[in-house]
Amino acid sequence: MTDIAPNPRGFFDRATKGLKTEPVQFEVEAGRISFLAETLGETNPVHHDRAAARAAGYPDVVAPPTFAMVVDLETGRAQERRGEPSVLSRIGCDFRRLLHGEERYDYHGLIFAGDTLSIMTEVVGFEDKKGGTLELAHLRSEIRHPERGVVVTITRSLVHRLA
Amino acid sequence: MTVTLSEARPGDRLPDVDFGRISRATLALYAGASGDHNLIHIDSDFARRAGMDDVFAQGMLSMGVLARVVTGWAGVDRMASLSTRFLAITPVGAHLVCSGEVAERCEIDGVPHLRLTLSAVITLNDGCSVRTLAGEALVRSN
Repeated sequence: MTDIAPNPRGFFDRATKGLKTEPVQFEVEAGRISFLAETLGETNPVHHDRAAARAAGYPDVVAPPTFAMVVDLETGRAQERRGEPSVLSRIGCDFRRLLHGEERYDYHGLIFAGDTLSIMTEVVGFEDKKGGTLELAHLRSEIRHPERGVVVTITRSLVHRLA
Repeated sequence: MTVTLSEARPGDRLPDVDFGRISRATLALYAGASGDHNLIHIDSDFARRAGMDDVFAQGMLSMGVLARVVTGWAGVDRMASLSTRFLAITPVGAHLVCSGEVAERCEIDGVPHLRLTLSAVITLNDGCSVRTLAGEALVRSN
């Protein structure tokens, strides 16, 4: 177990800058969309009910905008289960000191139940802030549908509290 | 009366989303739904060992509620982008309200858009209010 005392050198593995992961697949289930929407207090039936989604002109239940996070986290967990490190492990994330810095989603299309998506992530780089008391990792991920192309781009920074 | 997409002008406010009080149960359910199993949000023992007073809310929970301000007003299929900066942590027990207003009309690749500025504000048990997220969204307005 690592000690939690401040470390000016940081904990991210900066040698991973430029790393691009292989695409990892994710199948979107209607129940998962509905569960996420429910925990966000979202009651619009297009996120919960296939008939309502179809009546609104969609092919199936529609994912809310931050569902992209589910794709990201669950594919990471699936990799770990297979004994492959997720991108968060590879960059050396320490969950005890981890905070979100910024998060940006660019939407090129919607995500629907029944989609089989793939996600790939690039480690854009690292940065030190606030006199070395924070270190940042910048990541960029693309979520792609085999026919509809890139549906969401995620740009985010993860922060380690070092003090 | 809620302003419409076609009539919206800079400074117009969107309807707030009042999420209510964030309980430990909220954090546990969001952890399961989102896939963010980081124990710092759901296990007080872990949070204390990591130097925090207690568990605190997942940042993405507030971002998800912030997105509702946009989708509730403009519809999920009009959102072109959503971005947030995380300004402060959200302690368990905080009351979360998300809000937005129209910043400007703009054109992106010839398509009319509205740029919206967004905020998440929490009220703590002692009555203090803290802005936890500063966000921005682009929505297609045609």
